[in-house]
Amino acid sequence: MTTLRSRWLEILAIGVIGVSVLRSMTVEADVVQGDVQRIMYVHVPSAWLAFLAFGVTVFGSVAWLRTRDRRWDRLAASSAEIGVVFTGLAIAAGMIWARPVWGQFWTWEPRLVTTALLFFIYLGYLALRRAVIDPEQRARRSAIMGIVAFIQIPIVYESVNWWRSLHQTSSRSSIDTPLRITLLLGVVAFTFVYAVLLRRRLELARLEEELETRRFESSQDVAGAAITPPSLASVEQHD
Amino acid sequence: MTSTTTIASLEDVGLHIGNTVILREAKLTLEPGEKVGLLGPNGSGKTTLLRMLATLLAPTSGSGMVLGAELGTPEVYEIRNQIVMVGHLPGLYPELTLGENTELVARLSGHPPEIAAGALAQVGLGRASERRADQSSKGMLRRAELARALILEPTLLLLDEAHAGLDAEAIGLVDALADRVVTAGGSVVLVSHEPGRLTVDRSVQIVDGTVERVS
Amino acid sequence: MSFWRQVFEIARKDLLVESRTAEVALMTAPFGAAALILIPLAIGTDAPLLSQLGPGLYWVVVLLFGMLVILRKSAVDGQPQRDLVRLLGIDPAATFAGATIATSLLVLFFEIALGPVLIALYNPELGSWPWLFVILPLVAAGMGMLGTIASGVTTSIGTRTSLTPLLIVPLSLPLLLGATQALEGLRLGRSIVPWLILLVSVDLALAVSGVLAARPLEEAVT
Repeated sequence: MTTLRSRWLEILAIGVIGVSVLRSMTVEADVVQGDVQRIMYVHVPSAWLAFLAFGVTVFGSVAWLRTRDRRWDRLAASSAEIGVVFTGLAIAAGMIWARPVWGQFWTWEPRLVTTALLFFIYLGYLALRRAVIDPEQRARRSAIMGIVAFIQIPIVYESVNWWRSLHQTSSRSSIDTPLRITLLLGVVAFTFVYAVLLRRRLELARLEEELETRRFESSQDVAGAAITPPSLASVEQHD
Repeated sequence: MTSTTTIASLEDVGLHIGNTVILREAKLTLEPGEKVGLLGPNGSGKTTLLRMLATLLAPTSGSGMVLGAELGTPEVYEIRNQIVMVGHLPGLYPELTLGENTELVARLSGHPPEIAAGALAQVGLGRASERRADQSSKGMLRRAELARALILEPTLLLLDEAHAGLDAEAIGLVDALADRVVTAGGSVVLVSHEPGRLTVDRSVQIVDGTVERVS
Repeated sequence: MSFWRQVFEIARKDLLVESRTAEVALMTAPFGAAALILIPLAIGTDAPLLSQLGPGLYWVVVLLFGMLVILRKSAVDGQPQRDLVRLLGIDPAATFAGATIATSLLVLFFEIALGPVLIALYNPELGSWPWLFVILPLVAAGMGMLGTIASGVTTSIGTRTSLTPLLIVPLSLPLLLGATQALEGLRLGRSIVPWLILLVSVDLALAVSGVLAARPLEEAVT
């Protein structure tokens, strides 16, 4: 039985999300954009969470390479999964927001392009994890790929920034105080969501691994035990 | 090349790849001048043990030393060129000729490429050096690999089913090569599932993931 | 044997194997050229339009079809061949560098082979074209390194031909932007130095990553 005590993080998260949602819905709407601007309170925190999650993935990868402790690999993998989901959410929310405001779903804004590429980079990372069966090899290869990708990300961002420098750089310089507080609240709420999801996912990953280990221990077979002497005689008898 | 210290020692070595246990608490020591036969049925882990002795696999538990290098540490990079392994799949590039393959071994090991021709002639492939590896028979490939051992003069020679697919002459070649390594103070491990074929000092067998002596 | 000697011998071996299969010269390059012929049929054969879009399309073809250069047979060693190279005591960093040099030279060959097709079909304005001698190798080196790292990570995975491009393409964006913008700069007579700096930084970052990843990667593909 899960007690309330063990669910404290979830309960806290629900509370913060509640306050954040309430605040996002009631804070004064943007004079120019109207209510549609409120999607910013989902879009920006999602993007923040994605970056946080990928940062944790890299941290886990480096820690795994240094210690070879499986816990770090589980952290890297779990965080990457959450990151991909929220990158997708950030992109989707951004597109919904952009359509009425800019008249199109997509603009070639550097942050947007980089976020979209992040989505594919980490989809690739997860695909790589899925493709390697041996846990040790999986951890090693994905750690290497995760780190190499992460080193490239600032260059990706800067290159798009450079390329777009002739256009607008940051459109969010004129954010007023009530809006900023709401945004901050959203970021806090999403961070709680991240913490809850990460904790659950880590627990799941640990259980999966335990299941594997138990299976592995219960079958005392060594290599070669799977092969038994052929018994053609008995086959013939059945014929 | 001659050394009086132990060539290889595995202490309670365990190895699992994914969920398959291949070795557990395996012990094996190779002394200089020893020729050891490694027996066991299909799939018992003979090749894996051989690859571990070749420093290509690190144990998941226990520890092993090969030619003074601790397995699983960068020390192995320093001693690898003293090991030759002839696996049951040919370590040759199929698109290159037997001559080019042997030359490649010479070049990558810092020898002049010209010695390749001599080595090929010694294994009886002097007139087949223009033949592409993927156009050669299994016996020819095996001979070309033995030419590699001639060039590298290893301290540790690992032969996986070395006699399979060879004619009488070539089998004599394998034995002569093994004797040469042993005389120089190295060790040889021969894997086989045909115990009668081997002329070895002692034989060991992989039973239930451990290495046992065969009387 | 010195590190660079090892690098040279590995690269030489890869190129020798490639010379036998001739995959890049006889298969990938014609395929890329065919793509450059198809594109105008889809977007319109208007001469000024093609002249303007040509260089960009060229780079997209180089980047995407270049995946086939990275995935070519001669870049993939089986386990016996990997064991051979490892047991010869070759430094994994040298194996990485050698494989990278071979792949980069083949990507460069691919770029050069598609050049005449671009010029003939699209008639692009190239401005001070001698700069291409700097731009083409920088892009080829970047693709070579990215390709060798990604191939290392996907070694012996059944789905590597699909997985490797997915890992490479998003990361190759700076190469694409550097290359296209440098060509655009040449056309307009603007300074292309910032874009060259970008290409050089990408190459340097990849070189460092590749050398550092080489040893852990070698252990990962036992």
